[in-house]
Amino acid sequence: MAIPMATATPTDSASRVWSMSSLRSALPSATTCRMPSSTSRRPVTIRLPVSSPSPLLLPSFSGLSPVNPLISTGLPDWKSFENGFKIIDGGGRVYAMRHGRRVPKLNRPPDQRKALLRGLTTQLLKHGRIKTTRARASAMRKFVDKMITLAKDGSLHKRRQALGYIYEKQIVHALFAEVPDRYGERNGGYTRIIRTLPRRGDNAPMAYIELV
Amino acid sequence: MAASVDPLVVGRVIGDVLDMYIPTANMSVYFGPKHITNGCEIKPSAAVNPPKVNISGNSDELYTLVMTDPDAPSPSEPNMREWVHWIVVDIPGGTNPSKGKEILPYMEPRPPVGIHRYIFVLFRQNSPMGPMVQLPPSRANFSTRMFAGHLDLGLPVATVYFNAQKEPASRRR
Repeated sequence: MAIPMATATPTDSASRVWSMSSLRSALPSATTCRMPSSTSRRPVTIRLPVSSPSPLLLPSFSGLSPVNPLISTGLPDWKSFENGFKIIDGGGRVYAMRHGRRVPKLNRPPDQRKALLRGLTTQLLKHGRIKTTRARASAMRKFVDKMITLAKDGSLHKRRQALGYIYEKQIVHALFAEVPDRYGERNGGYTRIIRTLPRRGDNAPMAYIELV
Repeated sequence: MAASVDPLVVGRVIGDVLDMYIPTANMSVYFGPKHITNGCEIKPSAAVNPPKVNISGNSDELYTLVMTDPDAPSPSEPNMREWVHWIVVDIPGGTNPSKGKEILPYMEPRPPVGIHRYIFVLFRQNSPMGPMVQLPPSRANFSTRMFAGHLDLGLPVATVYFNAQKEPASRRR
């Protein structure tokens, strides 16, 4: 154990648990880690210091390693371990609930999801108006708009990117031919969703999605 | 995002085919037992024969009925917008189009690609048309607005539309 004996005695309780204040005073103060307070229930985020001042006196290089609760030196004054066991890197937050997650999963693994959306955008660009479930219609808006934006640009690179996404190349060539006339002045919002009656077999809410 | 909840605006019937109007008459359209509501789905095989249309109003008023398809040949490329299916003039109020003069005979919906909207538009006539109405040169590239302007019909009094798509050729099990 390289922890030097704290000059201040453990403050609050008569137990052998180290308190944070005593330890913080003992460790070198070159780092600017923000220790989570024990009473807050935020997710544990520790920002790695971007610019460390690097003074000449830096005896023990404990600055850049994040506090890993598994390698516990008996210090935690934390009242609970629930927040403690999330692994953090680069500032990404991981919640136990779905807060802030905006990608629609469509009840499918990622490869099938991508294939479904590719097929739906291909069919929409081919037929102009299709009828699907509301979740799928609102999920595919982003990708249809992306394809139309690629066609608006019109360069070879964008054409090849579109060919890599849409399943039928005739549709890509037709799209690149007609989009500048049709959507030249419109900025975004190239689709429209009209909700309709539920499907008879499973009462799924349906919608028409059409190109503007 | 629908600016208003009127189904004709949401379905862009007002905009593509018509201008904003105030409905003053009632029209109910039946394909067999099925009553047409805005945006309902009808199979082309159910629409082979002309529908039964009941028009409100008193019998000294004359009405004109036009049925068009603004999504011909495909909703993504409506080159032949609009394709007119049926024109009947001089319909006395309170009756149905069989009592009127059928300028353009009824053609059933046959959408080749995609889901098409089929719109029934009812106008009130100021005067009996009689022989003044000439047949449009072709069913394609029809314009309801220009037709109404040409015959001085003004704004429509009632509109309803339905959707139809091509039925799969083989029966699904």
